[in-house]
Amino acid sequence: MIFRAVEDADLIRKARRGDVEAYNLLISRWERRVYNYLLRIVANREDALDLSQDVFLKAYQNLRKLDDPARFAPWLYRIAHNEAYSLFRKRRPEGETEELQPETMEGAATVGGNAVFPVELTLAVSGALRKLTADQRETVILKIYQGFKFEEIAEIVAAPVSTVKSRLYTALDLLKTELAPIKARGVS
Amino acid sequence: MSCSPFDLRDYYFKDLAENERRLTEVHVKTCAHCREELDRLRGTEAALLALREEEIPQRIGFVSDPVFQPSAFRRGWDALWGSAARLGFASAAMLSVALVVFSLTRPVPQGAAPAPAITRAAMQAEMQADFSNRMNDAVAKAVAASEARQARQTQDLLAASDRRHALETQAMMVRVQEYLEVEKKHLNTLILASNNAGSAGGDVR
Repeated sequence: MIFRAVEDADLIRKARRGDVEAYNLLISRWERRVYNYLLRIVANREDALDLSQDVFLKAYQNLRKLDDPARFAPWLYRIAHNEAYSLFRKRRPEGETEELQPETMEGAATVGGNAVFPVELTLAVSGALRKLTADQRETVILKIYQGFKFEEIAEIVAAPVSTVKSRLYTALDLLKTELAPIKARGVS
Repeated sequence: MSCSPFDLRDYYFKDLAENERRLTEVHVKTCAHCREELDRLRGTEAALLALREEEIPQRIGFVSDPVFQPSAFRRGWDALWGSAARLGFASAAMLSVALVVFSLTRPVPQGAAPAPAITRAAMQAEMQADFSNRMNDAVAKAVAASEARQARQTQDLLAASDRRHALETQAMMVRVQEYLEVEKKHLNTLILASNNAGSAGGDVR
């Protein structure tokens, strides 16, 4: 993990000097995670892909502003967060981003569907996530799916750690209730 | 409601200090209710992880286009900040410049005479004044030496003149004395002759 972080830092230094290939290698390491983060926030593949491209372009243009290359991940996700919320504001100019619910994820029933994770559970999880507020959903995504620390999530969403924890724990209580019937039927 | 000494969710997400984590761990081993709570958290997380990540439908990549590349200045600037040696040299240079600027623009303390601004003209005037002072000193020394030499020569001449005058006076005195001696002898001769003539006339009568 440390070795990987050093490698990323080296790629960042090269990219800062204008080495596009080094930056492309950096992208290849992070594009899938960033795409899935955005996909779960905006719930639209086309938007998620467009936003991902914008995120990596903005990151390249602002790479020199990154003080500590070891903090690349939270910094990159901060850009992704801003891009996603910028899209929300464009689509809801009256400022309803806090209550914005993502569009129904087209084809969500087949996402990752295989023998180990049945379709029914996948559908239930997608449905339960949609019932959360945008902030709660994003916090769950960053903690459960992306594995960030609380301090890093606070940096990404520009909120205090206590707020981040409150959002996550409230969301987990709601999800626990929503998913209880599925788990009770033994689909997991 | 959890009876754990610390938040079980913080414990689950490994966000407790080491001593807090140990205390909670001891509690969980003896508390069935808290163990159930932890199991529910694990179950919820496991259910959430059923939603697998998707592959990105199209790989993202950039081509080497000058539009996206930082400018030469920017690359140089980044290289400067990326090198400790260059940064150190730049810092030293900036410090030197700052010291020079500070020394030239330092405010004058209250009550003190304003420090003259160091300009090229002032420096030239100062150099000329210094040169003039040195020249005046040299001329004054030369004049003083010449005057001293002349005074010494005058003294020598006066002394020689005095000596010559004394010798001449002495010689004149000797001549006067010799003249007086001659005149005295001549007078004695006359007196003696006169006496001899008187005694010869008495005998004739």
